[in-house]
Amino acid sequence: MASPGVQALVEAKWQSAFKTLNREEPGISGLLKTSQARQLASDFLRPRALSEPRRKYRADVMANAFRLLYQTKQLHGVLENFLEEMRQQRHLITEDVEAYMHEYEVRPYAFVLVTEVHETADSQIIAQLVHRLVEWFNAWRPTTETDGHPGPLESLGHVAIDSYTDAFQTHIYSVLPPSFSSGFKDLIASTLPVSDPAPPPDRALWDAFHALGLIERYESLISSVCYELVEKHVVETCAGQWSERMLQDLRDWMQNKVLPWMCLPYAPGARTMEEAGASLHGVGPRFDFHVCKTLCDLRTSEIFDIIVDYPDSIDALYDLKECLYRVDQRSNLVQSLRKANKKRLLHPGADTKDILAQYVSTIRSLRIVDPPGVLLYKVADPIRRYLRDRADTIRCIVSSLVGDNENGESLIDDEPPLPYLTKDAEDYSDPHWEPEPIDAGPDFRANKPGDVISTLVSIYDTKDVFVKELQVLLAQRLLAVTDGNYEKERRNIEILKVRFGEQALQVCEVMLRDMTDSRRIDQHVQSQKPSILHPVIISRHFWPSLQSGSFVMPQKLRSIQEEYAREFTAFKPDKRLVWLSHMGSVKLELELQDRTIEAEVTPVAAAIIELFSEKDVWTAGELMAQMQRLDKEHLRKGLNVWVDLGVLKEEGADKYRLLEVAEESSKKEGTVSAPKPKELPAVQTTQQQQAEQMRVFWNYIEGMLTNLGSLPLDRIQNMLKFARGYDRSIEQLGMFMEAARREGLVVVRDGMWRLNK
Amino acid sequence: MEQITTSLAPPRSTHKVGVAGSSSDASGSVTKRLSNELMQLMMSSSPGISAFPKSDANLFEWVGTIEGPSGTIYAGLTYKISITFPPNYPYAAPTLKFDSPCYHPNVDLNSGAICLDILQDKWSAVYSVQTILISLQSLLGEPNNASPLNPDAAALWDSPSEYKTSLMKHYTPPGDNFA
Repeated sequence: MASPGVQALVEAKWQSAFKTLNREEPGISGLLKTSQARQLASDFLRPRALSEPRRKYRADVMANAFRLLYQTKQLHGVLENFLEEMRQQRHLITEDVEAYMHEYEVRPYAFVLVTEVHETADSQIIAQLVHRLVEWFNAWRPTTETDGHPGPLESLGHVAIDSYTDAFQTHIYSVLPPSFSSGFKDLIASTLPVSDPAPPPDRALWDAFHALGLIERYESLISSVCYELVEKHVVETCAGQWSERMLQDLRDWMQNKVLPWMCLPYAPGARTMEEAGASLHGVGPRFDFHVCKTLCDLRTSEIFDIIVDYPDSIDALYDLKECLYRVDQRSNLVQSLRKANKKRLLHPGADTKDILAQYVSTIRSLRIVDPPGVLLYKVADPIRRYLRDRADTIRCIVSSLVGDNENGESLIDDEPPLPYLTKDAEDYSDPHWEPEPIDAGPDFRANKPGDVISTLVSIYDTKDVFVKELQVLLAQRLLAVTDGNYEKERRNIEILKVRFGEQALQVCEVMLRDMTDSRRIDQHVQSQKPSILHPVIISRHFWPSLQSGSFVMPQKLRSIQEEYAREFTAFKPDKRLVWLSHMGSVKLELELQDRTIEAEVTPVAAAIIELFSEKDVWTAGELMAQMQRLDKEHLRKGLNVWVDLGVLKEEGADKYRLLEVAEESSKKEGTVSAPKPKELPAVQTTQQQQAEQMRVFWNYIEGMLTNLGSLPLDRIQNMLKFARGYDRSIEQLGMFMEAARREGLVVVRDGMWRLNK
Repeated sequence: MEQITTSLAPPRSTHKVGVAGSSSDASGSVTKRLSNELMQLMMSSSPGISAFPKSDANLFEWVGTIEGPSGTIYAGLTYKISITFPPNYPYAAPTLKFDSPCYHPNVDLNSGAICLDILQDKWSAVYSVQTILISLQSLLGEPNNASPLNPDAAALWDSPSEYKTSLMKHYTPPGDNFA
């Protein structure tokens, strides 16, 4: 048995509890009242099926009952009781949910063919389910609120409602099957403001979502719906649209259409835009980021074509730049572009001209996207390496330098040319020096503000190859000029001088001067003794070697040449003319029996027709014997000119007859003029290139002889290895030194060379 | 400007060496720099100055030639100088001295040593052989008499005719034979 002490303790407790429940009322009437109130409250709160009719309670009775329970501190007990009853009753909800979900899961099979219909229908079932759940939720909610005044239950604070909501939500989450997620997603998607104008939002539905806590639970699902909307919209509106800025439009679209919708899940109850803005503070940037990312992905996938379209696609590039600023996907861009280039550009099927054009566009485009040039450096490397392997790259670059490509556009005019820099080391004195960008590779060379041309030229380690090619091209162009207007060439040379340096273009300078000098000399010679011959006199050392194989002119033409040469020698006694008879053009007039023909033809053709004035029929063999050293190809070309003009006729194998009287087919009234010989003078390059290189090496030889006194040939040869690109044999050097000696530049004694002072 | 470059140069050099990791790379870059400077010198036409490596085996030893600037007392005279580049060029100045005896306030007549600020404390990596030679050439006509290596010459500078006599007494035109 318990000790008396314990007995006393228990008794005291009992008394105290009884007192609380009985509230000083006589007998046990207080106790009874409390018990009654408790029963009433439990009955009031009891969760029941929705179909079960709800008894009417008198508000004041209920209020008294709850007050009593509150005073006797029994509300907690009542509440726990209620939650327990709820647990017992929840099968009602489970059954409901199962019924709806069953309907939802079965429907798709029935309507599988009518996609549109079943989608809306599906999500409607889910909507109905949600509304139904809200009904349950509201019906079971423990509340004693009357006419908006908080009752005694509310005086417990949020405890009652919170624990109820927790219990309710836990339950529905546990009974909702996995297929609910996809249904819910469809439902959300159906509320998106895709149509224009957007239908007013279904606020009841969103309130229901909030009440059931679905927004929090399926947050990621909602944002994925929104992400998908953004992606779809971006692809629909922006794909292939490169001629205008899209990013701002997209942001406006987000602002005007998507943002109001986003207020529904993310800013419920916001009445003004300011309030909504505050709620969306965290979400907004996330979606803006997604817009940028989607656009960036899209543009990255289109980058090759965007570059092809440059400069029409310039706005797309600015968009891309802005996106890349927000989304760090530079490496993606590089990879994508490199892949596209490899697949679409750098293969044998592409023209060098096109590759160059695309490279130039790439340079310009990526300079917009990334001014420091790190992206460009990464992308350009494979292109440059590929171009270096192509044989005709130099020629293409040079012809685009002087505006010789087919659309006549020259790269020269584009940017102010910057001086050609040969510096490898960093410029220590540059006050605008900046560190290399963070994703620059170890071999990234600090951005030289190089323009397009220097970038092209820098494909090769040396600019010499360009200068050489330039000389060849210039030779062709100068010789093709017939009206004595060399302004364009002069201008080109001046511009290129800035780029390649005075020294490198000195030879070009000489070539140009030769042209003007020729005219002056010609004027002088003509004034002494008029001649029908107007030669171009070129300095052999400075010109690319021209096609050799001069043939013997017929006597009549030869005498003109000789006469001219005599006058020339009189004018410049130290020089001698060597005729390149096969070059140039001859304007002549043929007087035949029935017609006169005016034609401008090659000298070969002129020589041929001159021979026909001796006799009417020649064989090709005879002609070749007459003119000597003329190859068959040129003879054939010359003959064909006259055959085309209807002057000669091929009779049998290699036999030609002069048509004194025109044949029917080719007979024309008056004069016939032949098309001008279009062919550019053939210019050989190799020998000429060597001559140019030797000029560079001469500077070195001069330098070493100045400082080291006299040197034997083998020392000179060894020392020349300081000059980049020196690859001559000692025999070639010997010949060169011998030539220099003849010009009086050096003297030699006992095998020791020294400068002639 | 000079101060900026000189204060930048040392940390930059250590950085570069740290990246390159091996001294052979560093000397390679010096060789490259020197052969660039040689090319620059060969391709430019600066009248009266010239320089070239002594032998094909060593790019660090050069011989230079300076002609006295016209219009000065040194006009028409030619001097030989030797240039030695340190292994850490251009972060340190090259050593220059006159090989042919040069009677000049800032040149030691016996050793050929030169007193020129850019070769000592004012050296900067932006200078090159060409700029040094040009400075040296102009030094001939405009000596710095405040810090003479040859006090006799400095004292005589203001009396040109006597100066010229002394100058010509010590002048030996460079011969062709080169060792």
